[in-house]
Amino acid sequence: MTGAIGSRTATTWRLLAVLLREEWRLHTRLFGGWRFALFPVVIAALAVSATVALLETGTAEGTILAGLHTLALGFGLYSGTAGFAGSDMLENVFGRLSLLLSTSTTLPLSRTRLLGVFLIKDALFYAVAFVLPMALSNAVLVGASTTAPVAVGALWLSLTLSFAAGMALTVAAIAVRTRGTPTWAIAGVVGAGIVGLWLTDSLRDGWTLFVPLEGSLLGTVGLAVGTVLVGVVSLAVYDPTYGRPSRTAGDRFARLSETLPLGPDSALVSKTLLDLARSSGGVAKPFVSATILLALIAALVGVVDSITGIAPAPGIFFGGVLGLTAFTTYNWLTQFDSLEDYLAYPVSIDDVFRTKRIAFVLVGAPTVAVPYLAAVVWFETTLVDAVVGAVLLAGYALYYYGLTVYIAGFDPNEFLFDAVRFSLFTLGVAVALVPTLVAGFVVVPPTGTVALAVGLAGVGFGTAGVVLSSRAGPRWEKRYRANGERR
Amino acid sequence: MGVIQVDGVRKSYGNVTAVNEMSFAVERGELYGFLGPNGAGKTSTIRMLTGQIRPDAGSIRVLETDPTTEPLETRRRVGILPEQQSPPSFLTPREYLEFVGEIRDLESERVNERTAVWAERLGFESKLETLHTDLSRGQQQKVMITQAFLHEPDVVFIDEPLANLDPLVQEQVKRYLVSYAAGDNAVFVSTHNIDVAEEICTRVGIVADGHIVTERTVNGDGTRAEESLLKVFVERVERADVRDTPSLGQLGASNR
Repeated sequence: MTGAIGSRTATTWRLLAVLLREEWRLHTRLFGGWRFALFPVVIAALAVSATVALLETGTAEGTILAGLHTLALGFGLYSGTAGFAGSDMLENVFGRLSLLLSTSTTLPLSRTRLLGVFLIKDALFYAVAFVLPMALSNAVLVGASTTAPVAVGALWLSLTLSFAAGMALTVAAIAVRTRGTPTWAIAGVVGAGIVGLWLTDSLRDGWTLFVPLEGSLLGTVGLAVGTVLVGVVSLAVYDPTYGRPSRTAGDRFARLSETLPLGPDSALVSKTLLDLARSSGGVAKPFVSATILLALIAALVGVVDSITGIAPAPGIFFGGVLGLTAFTTYNWLTQFDSLEDYLAYPVSIDDVFRTKRIAFVLVGAPTVAVPYLAAVVWFETTLVDAVVGAVLLAGYALYYYGLTVYIAGFDPNEFLFDAVRFSLFTLGVAVALVPTLVAGFVVVPPTGTVALAVGLAGVGFGTAGVVLSSRAGPRWEKRYRANGERR
Repeated sequence: MGVIQVDGVRKSYGNVTAVNEMSFAVERGELYGFLGPNGAGKTSTIRMLTGQIRPDAGSIRVLETDPTTEPLETRRRVGILPEQQSPPSFLTPREYLEFVGEIRDLESERVNERTAVWAERLGFESKLETLHTDLSRGQQQKVMITQAFLHEPDVVFIDEPLANLDPLVQEQVKRYLVSYAAGDNAVFVSTHNIDVAEEICTRVGIVADGHIVTERTVNGDGTRAEESLLKVFVERVERADVRDTPSLGQLGASNR
């Protein structure tokens, strides 16, 4: 009996080691060794320089720590969707993305254990590649001293716990869904929980739970135990045989294509919209991504306000930040196809990028408009601030979109671990966003001059985004036809 | 001049030469088999012939178009069945074929008519309203074969035509390919399957190390030629010293 358990444990460790090696080789093959190896260095440089800049501009340490934990939690919530990817890989939906998982049917291992080890591998991988460099910020906060390494280690553990908690929450939602619970019911429970905390004035306390470094020892232990419990129960609940029966659909393509007044682009745009609408989560996916971003940023604004008493101009602040959903929306629009798929038809890569841009505007506009309106109503902004923020939102969303497409082409998700592309993207975002956020925090409510300047910035960056996205097609066509590869 | 004319084509990826001085021609009425071991340069050649990638040197003409400089015109005129697995599209086969029809500027009545004919021929009528992503690999391959022939092109490029198909459908597809080529069209089939090439092709080019090492005219009517294509293939490929292919001696050892 003991021997059997020991053997299973040894197998699990070996599996974890092989999956980690596979992850490393996948990334180094995708980006080239040094471009991937430099990624944590870039994150560390960003975290440290941002912390220095925030301290220099008078930001409180508590605010910086809250911001870092918000990022870790948000990244954890996002990384938990690896549960979807892992599940899809077990079904071999996307081909051999992971050799071990896609050949699960031939391995004498339970699929639940495979998925569990896969998620632990992801958590360890991101904890080292992403969270550890973020924790170096604490070296700036405590200054050069012998305690600095301990402070960095403590922040790393704290951020990792937030990250793992976020990941466990998403995995739990996915596991519940595999048992047939509808998405709207899960979203309803999450929403009711948040509203409940708000109504009982416990939102701040609830939030503090996810910042272990600032909380009590009991709270930290509770969060750690809770995360492990949620993870274990989720894996137990997860139904590895989950799979929807074959789905049928009426002929909507012809009608949609005729309805869209886009001439020869209608077919490609219609295909993208139908793929999005019928894939798991449907058209709600971009809204969910935008809502998560809105919730995290709104919570952060609340925390900053409670610590420092400073609240930003809501229109300018949320307009600038919510534009970042362009990245996730574009990611959803390219999730189910690749450039190669289109090359069996008489369409150019430029055609494909142009029609993705049209689809992005059709899907992205309502995706950002709804959370933005919710934010300006909730925070009771002025009319001028709301209008300027709306201009900013439209312009920045187009700019972030253009930046993503130009740098990352058809694979927005993959470039996140390419040090060179990630640096370019971050720099491009910072050029627009940092001055805007400063303006949003310093001049509240915005004066006429600030409103005009910010509005013009929105128009200017929006124009730059259109130029970048229209140049992306020829750029990637040239690269693809020369190398036969996407990068 | 052939409907497909390839002269001295070269293609490298970094320091790896995938295609090296490739030359051949295919005429109307031919079912040309492009036979070679893994990594011989078959897929790169098809991608150059259909304008998906650009050759480093040499010239290509397909139906009097130059796929290097006018790739869209080439792809408009030909049909392509790619090697990679079907994308996980959420369109139904009917919608997908409407999509292809619209991209190829076909009348919707014609698309409906051709869809019905092919669905009956390959036996996927009952799956026309099922999402493509929920179809079996074999059913997906049937839909992909249909899209390649939807516009009745003069030249069709096919990478592994019989992958994932059951034996009955394989027979039907083989017969269709033979009759299609005989109808003054050209079918270019890239395959690893020597038996299939021997059975249906009128001519076979054997590829190794990025170029044609020999060409053979075969009966193409199901009867065996005097010289076994397998023997020719192994001898010529072995002579080309292709790394990934076992030698005749190894084959003999493994058969014992």
